[in-house]
Amino acid sequence: MAAAALCCRGSCRTGWLPTLQIVRHAKSVTRHWKAMHFERQKLMALTEYIAPKPAIPEKCITPHIKAIKEENGYAKLLRRQVVETFRDSKMIAVCQHNFTPSEEMLRMKYRLRKHNIHVKFFPNEIVRPYLSVSKYKNLLPLFVGSNLMLASPEIKVKEMLQILKNVPQINLLGACIDNTILSNQGVVNYSKLPAMEITQGQVVGTLSLMASQMCALLQHSSVHLTALLDQYIKQQSGGAGETDGKAGEGQAELGPAKSSAGP
Amino acid sequence: ASGKCSPKLSKGKMAVPKAMVALRHVKSVMVRFCPFQTNVETTRTFLQHVNSKKARASNINCIVTTDVRHDGSEPVVDIMFADGDRLIIKGANLTAAEMLSAFNSRCIAKDLKVEEKTKKKSA
Repeated sequence: MAAAALCCRGSCRTGWLPTLQIVRHAKSVTRHWKAMHFERQKLMALTEYIAPKPAIPEKCITPHIKAIKEENGYAKLLRRQVVETFRDSKMIAVCQHNFTPSEEMLRMKYRLRKHNIHVKFFPNEIVRPYLSVSKYKNLLPLFVGSNLMLASPEIKVKEMLQILKNVPQINLLGACIDNTILSNQGVVNYSKLPAMEITQGQVVGTLSLMASQMCALLQHSSVHLTALLDQYIKQQSGGAGETDGKAGEGQAELGPAKSSAGP
Repeated sequence: ASGKCSPKLSKGKMAVPKAMVALRHVKSVMVRFCPFQTNVETTRTFLQHVNSKKARASNINCIVTTDVRHDGSEPVVDIMFADGDRLIIKGANLTAAEMLSAFNSRCIAKDLKVEEKTKKKSA
């Protein structure tokens, strides 16, 4: 009866309230979420499962296993490229890379590529660890900020410097040419050096000069003496013109002197 | 073949936020440093900011020269302003942010001066 009364009052299906929920007539299994009876709710709350806690919490006992962070594949690739670059190139120049418009950059790369010079960009975090281990330790202070590397298996310094002159935004910091680390000035001096053949010729010439001068040095004193005597004779014959005998004696003296000076 | 490195690898070296370097009042900038020294990083960062796209666009006539030496001298930035002032920043013990802020403050002061002058002329 009471249930029926309740039903009449609040039975508008659109706006039902849970407080006026009718237990007997409403369906128990519904498609929408239906609140449990209050007593049932209380019972459920009371009988909730409380897990037993161990005496020592697990956090204190088990060691915290840190997941091994696998290295980024891209980083590995870049490192491999760095190693290859340093191994295969005889000339490596490090430049500061300020902003360059892309056209100029492209032009510069094109010109350098004609001389077989490759422009490489590597992040500092990859290059620095490699450098600190390898023999290029002294190049470490250069790799700070944004840089670019010019690597080439041949050594063409003059052309490189000329091309870099046309691009004012790229400043040469240092270079490693033929396992020698050079500064900016050093590179300029290197470019002014003559070719290898010319220097070798110069060295050979200097050495042979010494050898060729040796003969002249040995003969020098006696040749000087003969010249002086010649002069004296000429003076005597030219000045007085009387003593042909003396001139003859002088010539006779000259004769043995010349023979002794001979080889 | 792009020349840009992956941004994920480069960790945040946010020493200097995107500072607007305006070279409007600058006639020439001369930066001198020895790259094999260890205290050169900030000067190089400053140079990069001065050479940035926006800075270049703000004044095309400004001459930026870089002097790379190897004599162990201190890193120095020498800025000649259009009205004859000269600012010499010795960057051995400064951060790039400090250098840029010093430079920017002077630029702003000059801006104000120019504005005052124009106001006086108009008034």
